[in-house]
Amino acid sequence: MKYKIAYKDVAKVTDDPLLKLKVEDLEKLPYLEEEPPIEPPKEKWLETYDFSLDWHTPFDIPKPKTQEEKEQLVFKFLSGLEKLFNPQANWTFLKIFKLTMEYCVRCQTCSDACHTYIASGRQEIYRPTYRSEILRRLHSRYFTPSGKLLKSFVGADIELNYKTVWRLLELAYRCNVCRRCALYCPVGVDNALIAREIRKLFSQEMGLAPLELYKKGTRQHLQKGSSTGMIPVAFNSTIEFLEEEIAERTGKKIKIPVDKKGADILLIHNAGEFIAWPDNPAAFAILFDAAGINYTLSSESVGYDGVNYGLWYDDIEATRIGLKHLMIAKELGVKKIVVGECGHAHKAMCVILDRVLPGDFALPQLPRESCLPLFWEIVKSGRVKLDPKRNDFPVTLHDSCNVVRLMGIVKPQRNVLKAICTQPVREMSPNGPMNYCCGGGSGFAIMNTLNFPQFRKKVTVRMKVKQILETFKDVLDPSINKMVVAACSNCKGAMRDAIGHYGLWDKYRILYSGLVELIVNAMVDIPPFLKWELEE
Amino acid sequence: MSGLQWFLVLFGWFSVLIFVVGNISKFVKFSTMPLNLRWEVYPVPHEPGEKRHYGGSYMEEIDWAKKPRHSSLAGELVEMGSEIFFLKRVREYNAFKIWPFSMALHWGIYLLFAWIFLLVIEAIFNVTAISPITNIVGVVSFILGAFGCLTLIIKRATVEDLNIDTPPILYFNLLFLLSIFVTGIISWRLDPSFEGSRKYIEGVVLFNLQTIPPIVIVNFLLFNLFLIYTPYSKFLHYLAKYFNFHQSLWDDAFKEKGSPKDMKNLEQVGYKFFWSGPHSLPDKTWLENAQIIEKGEKK
Repeated sequence: MKYKIAYKDVAKVTDDPLLKLKVEDLEKLPYLEEEPPIEPPKEKWLETYDFSLDWHTPFDIPKPKTQEEKEQLVFKFLSGLEKLFNPQANWTFLKIFKLTMEYCVRCQTCSDACHTYIASGRQEIYRPTYRSEILRRLHSRYFTPSGKLLKSFVGADIELNYKTVWRLLELAYRCNVCRRCALYCPVGVDNALIAREIRKLFSQEMGLAPLELYKKGTRQHLQKGSSTGMIPVAFNSTIEFLEEEIAERTGKKIKIPVDKKGADILLIHNAGEFIAWPDNPAAFAILFDAAGINYTLSSESVGYDGVNYGLWYDDIEATRIGLKHLMIAKELGVKKIVVGECGHAHKAMCVILDRVLPGDFALPQLPRESCLPLFWEIVKSGRVKLDPKRNDFPVTLHDSCNVVRLMGIVKPQRNVLKAICTQPVREMSPNGPMNYCCGGGSGFAIMNTLNFPQFRKKVTVRMKVKQILETFKDVLDPSINKMVVAACSNCKGAMRDAIGHYGLWDKYRILYSGLVELIVNAMVDIPPFLKWELEE
Repeated sequence: MSGLQWFLVLFGWFSVLIFVVGNISKFVKFSTMPLNLRWEVYPVPHEPGEKRHYGGSYMEEIDWAKKPRHSSLAGELVEMGSEIFFLKRVREYNAFKIWPFSMALHWGIYLLFAWIFLLVIEAIFNVTAISPITNIVGVVSFILGAFGCLTLIIKRATVEDLNIDTPPILYFNLLFLLSIFVTGIISWRLDPSFEGSRKYIEGVVLFNLQTIPPIVIVNFLLFNLFLIYTPYSKFLHYLAKYFNFHQSLWDDAFKEKGSPKDMKNLEQVGYKFFWSGPHSLPDKTWLENAQIIEKGEKK
């Protein structure tokens, strides 16, 4: 019988991992006879970095060498844990956090909601309640009278040492914060929020966060203008490049509006699109030009990158970036912000920022909307002539958690696909608000330090790969091109990983795309826009 | 009344008082916690029409911030009802098939309160016409409750996924509840018409307690302890559930400038930041922190 990892194991003072993932333990994937094995971490990494959770890590932070360094980490952790329960220090999420910490009844209903837990072959450490229970027990032991008095009777039995702290940090980054578990919970507790709160504790109190989220993420975004490192001059060059590309591919001379004062809409893309998928912002430009939308992009630092990585791990970093976005919109005098195809930017701008800034930035004062309803308005208005025959191939839709489960934007993208494709949209199972995360959520798609990408490819994207294969099971014939539509940059990043790693393009001709590219592909007055090739 | 009888009467009232005060104080405590950020999850049941079924929201339209909002109280009531009375999420999603047992336990508790309520009505208004119903409610409550507790204990002890590292307090809670229902069953078997229970409730309500069988005393003492314990234990999850759903998962309302929510928000962004990370300025307020990107940067 498999040994079930217990909560206390998190404190084991050893560099041996609690779990060594093996392909044979993972959820089986249909229609794929073999897959690349799981490689152990490189020997030289093991000497320097801590892989003691599951032989994977996104942190290139050297292990502490002295006892003093370890004690310092534990001390800071306790200080941060106390602040999580402080109504002023953690006013943003205190209520939900505290209710989750105190009233989970441990029915484990949430376990089967979690794609990571299922994909891993139901490994205990990935269960949504595992990290929450550790945090709960630590808090109980160090901060509550019942824990101090009754100890193991109330579960306050986990030893706090450097290993506990480190493994808890790792555990916070084994959850995509997709919040499917919250939808399942009979008491409405939110174990995904706990993962985020642990991330917040480590970031806001200790400055510990993955390189791609902190230093190369929010810090770089605020300091240089974009988490991609793109500075304003580079942005302007990119726009010129896009205009040339559009002219070359469509014959249309389009001037992409930048910093146009008084435009109706400030359109903010995920700047990663400009670099990884430039067809996406180009398609926006083509569509908006054809539909006569009065919009502008911003070349202001931060204003041309709609991402907000703070959403995944740090409240104040999220607010700083959000505030910059809104101030830029105010300065431009636009009527509203429309968010491009980026799920977490949707959530940050349209939902989260609502209650972290004063009323001048309230939604009625400065509306923020998704691009998806606008797409549907354009398509149904008939302003742009579209021919569904241009999109005559099997299509499925991946629902971005941020847009669908966390904002309730479900129908517009389906309506658009119905109108611009000849074949009925194949729904994944489950779909809509019950969808599985792509596996790239909460920063995973961009976290590429050490061997973390292997964890993402093997575990977190796994259920999505399974869904895609099952959705296309009757058309897997490689002579038929198939498309997974994902109106979110991070989701596309995860799709790129999944399709590349499992060879879905080579074996089955399964590709991915944003939504706007398909709309533009259906425009009758320009040549077909989609490129049927996998860009690594 | 003897000293013991006075104790039983006063303890009965005391337990009710603690239960009520405990619930109210927790409600006030949860209500007065800081206004959290929006953190909703769809489907949100007060969305009107088909939206609540497929999980849609007002954000599916353009210019939604300028349009009037519609919401469906009926949708919310149906969803709440299906959770409270049928434990919908446990039935649909729990992989360990605990639903029938959890239903038995919950209905055992609901009917236990209903039974005591009916006994109080009988005592105050001296109505005996409802006695047969009262008796049936009591019997069903005890049997369902005992069955639910026992099966959930067995499930927790035997299903590895539920059992792993379970702290004793969770078993204690179930055993505690079980003891109420089992003593209820014993008192019913010894006294099928519940005369002893009636005498107890009448005595406590009217401050005139007569001699009653020991098993009835034990049964009600356990119930009184349950009332005292509930507000300070996981049993209070019903209240947490209300706040989780209404002020987190279904709280999709955006704020208006100058509204009470905005005022509360304004107060909160004025709190000191406290955190000590390298990008944090603990001596500044939340809003000042939001406006400053680098340490040392002038506001």
